[in-house]
Amino acid sequence: MFDVTYLLPLVVLCPLLGAVLCAAFGEVKELRRFAHWPALVFAALSCVCAVTAAVNVPDYQPRLATAPLSYITFPYQETGADRIDWFAVTTGSGSRLRVELSLTADNLSGVMLLGVTFIGFWIVVFSVGYMKGSPGFPRYFAVVSLFLASMTLLVLADNFILMFAGWEGVGLCSYLLVGYWHHKPSAADAARKAFLVTRLGDVGLILGIGMLWYMQQTFADLTDHSNALDYTVAFHYARQMADQNPAMFTAACLLIFLGCVGKSAQFPLYVWLPDAMEGPTPVSALIHAATMVTAGVYLLARCTPLVALVPGVQVTVACVGAATAFIAGFIALTQTDLKRVLAYSTVSQLGFMFLAVGSGGGGVLQTVAVTAAIFHLFTHAFFKAVLFLSAGSVMHAMHDHIDMRDFSGLRKVLPVTHLTFLCGAVALAGVPIFSGFWSKDMVLEAALRAGESPRFGPVYMVLFGVALVTALMTAFYTFRAYFRTFWGELRMPEGAHPHETWTMNVPLIVLAVGAVAVGVVAEPFTHWFSHYLGAAPILKASDGGRVAEHHLNWPLMGGSAAVALAGVGLAYYLYVVKPAAPAKLASGMGSPYYLSLNRLYMDEIYNVLFVQPLTLLAGLCKLIEAVVFDLVRLVASVPRYLGDVVLRPLQNGLVQFYALAMVMGVAAFVGYLVLFAK
Amino acid sequence: MIGVSHYLAVGAILFGLGLVGFLTRRNLIVMFLSAEMMLQGVALNFVAFSRHHGNMHGQVFTLFVIAVAACEAGIALALFLALYRRKRSLDVSLWQDLREAGIDEARDDEPLPAEPKEEPLPTLPPAGTLPARAEERQYV
Repeated sequence: MFDVTYLLPLVVLCPLLGAVLCAAFGEVKELRRFAHWPALVFAALSCVCAVTAAVNVPDYQPRLATAPLSYITFPYQETGADRIDWFAVTTGSGSRLRVELSLTADNLSGVMLLGVTFIGFWIVVFSVGYMKGSPGFPRYFAVVSLFLASMTLLVLADNFILMFAGWEGVGLCSYLLVGYWHHKPSAADAARKAFLVTRLGDVGLILGIGMLWYMQQTFADLTDHSNALDYTVAFHYARQMADQNPAMFTAACLLIFLGCVGKSAQFPLYVWLPDAMEGPTPVSALIHAATMVTAGVYLLARCTPLVALVPGVQVTVACVGAATAFIAGFIALTQTDLKRVLAYSTVSQLGFMFLAVGSGGGGVLQTVAVTAAIFHLFTHAFFKAVLFLSAGSVMHAMHDHIDMRDFSGLRKVLPVTHLTFLCGAVALAGVPIFSGFWSKDMVLEAALRAGESPRFGPVYMVLFGVALVTALMTAFYTFRAYFRTFWGELRMPEGAHPHETWTMNVPLIVLAVGAVAVGVVAEPFTHWFSHYLGAAPILKASDGGRVAEHHLNWPLMGGSAAVALAGVGLAYYLYVVKPAAPAKLASGMGSPYYLSLNRLYMDEIYNVLFVQPLTLLAGLCKLIEAVVFDLVRLVASVPRYLGDVVLRPLQNGLVQFYALAMVMGVAAFVGYLVLFAK
Repeated sequence: MIGVSHYLAVGAILFGLGLVGFLTRRNLIVMFLSAEMMLQGVALNFVAFSRHHGNMHGQVFTLFVIAVAACEAGIALALFLALYRRKRSLDVSLWQDLREAGIDEARDDEPLPAEPKEEPLPTLPPAGTLPARAEERQYV
């Protein structure tokens, strides 16, 4: 009988196989031109498997009575026989940790899978046109395929360790792809920066996971088969852990959150994401907008049963999210690099998602909080992907120029790109009926409802205000970019030959339709999305049986629509009606303008605070090493010198010299025997 | 009365002469002869002690020494022939190639006196007609 369970490993293994084949094709001269085909075919297969699995999730009965929080798992967990061990650790105190290669899918993973594989597939299609003729073509597709495998593994993993493997896998792929043009120093630096900054968060994540394991060791009823780091087991014991060791439990949650902050580019670790735009644009769309950077939001949503027990952590999450949203939005106002604007906007939107996840601390049902965050994640994946791909199309046509000062009025020469960018822009700005409007509205509503909580109410009210201001800025900078790129008189840099190809247009159109429609179809009137996600066992368990009611908050929607339209109108006024006004306004603004233009001097501050002292320390280490090294070399050179001076001349190749040496040796020996031996 | 010490003295003298010859002469064949002389000195010791102790051990050894010396002579002379063919000389100092890399070759400040030029063997005056083929004419 056909069994959905078997699709889960296929979802992960298909792109992995694709990666291997791409790399293999790249090695064979005749097949090099076709190196994109494995990535394309296996991404499509993976997408089909993922969609089938995701659709089947709600109908699937829980397989195991002892694991009520998970849905589909692979391999089956009824008996221990089918289980595939990855590795096992036994500590000194006899506690055992078995890590298994098992996958699980619930409604949350289903949503993520849909986004990752569907958007991933279309971005691979786009890349075929975009990367044509680039050296290292097979390398690109191999790594993108590997990325899809890692990301699906991250989403489908059944335990923290396997999730961490996927987590590091996507980090590695991000590093490889940001540094794709590694001969360019700025790209190599950006790749290193991305890797190191996210590593900071990853250290926190692995420490948090270790703490969870440490706390669970005390529970006697853990058997060999119920792994201490399986999601289900960890969530099952969450309440006990929080009661037994509240301080450590809070610390573990905060450390896991730190991992999310690094991966999802939140304040203060967001600095790597704008630099990551050095990579090819489809990569920016796939990894640094639609999928990898949302892994932090996914992990926080996945850990809802843990985090829900410590409202303080959730408030922290919300504060960090709102702060990031505001800061990144503020910086995006004045950037002139089209991709940087989009990058800061991604950081800002991720901040919105964190704000939504964190609003669970204000008494909002976890289901509502997580649904708002994941819905925004879902719609954002579509419209940000289409925005980035459109920017890529512009960049492709403008001969690798991406600075908005170099071109304008492109709507006549790039009609398809213009329309798709517009679709993405209206969605991002939150213009009514487009998808970003509905999801941003859910985030705002979650924050507003959290504001009614007696304990943290005022905090959430402030955060709500910040989010509203950020929404205004979002609409403004999005349409500032749109008007500066596509409106006004036609200007192009030298060497540009505007053209659009079908391999690039089709993904743009598909994703643009998604960006426009997915919001209104999935949520506001049908509530498909919240019904689907709300059925997730982890969310149900976290809310303890309370069920969220669906309603539309008309005043809030009106307000947010007004804010979005105001932002769009302001951008229209400044950049279309009075094109001379922005410069005057900028000089009139003074310091806030320069703060934004120079990205709040964040890189400079980090440079002084961290990079310089570390460089100094490295210099000191180098000095010490030089001294020690030379000392060792000095000692080591003595035998060598002696050998050179004394022993080498003895080996002169003269037979009679050797004979003389022998005779002298014998004479000395005999002399000793005669004179001294008794 | 001639005692064992006389034999030993003669053996030691033979050995010493051989040793000095081996270390100082550079002609390979003379060196080989010197080495043989050392062997004979040792063989004389063996025979002397055999007589002194009244058993056959030393004599057996002596037989072995003579047999080994004979083999040695065969091998050594064959080697010398091969070496001579390579360098047209029996000077042992021409063979220094196994020295350490980077060490200069040992040069003799007092080279051997030039070998007297061999007088050509007498040849008979040619008789009869010149051979017709060119390659045969060289023997005339």
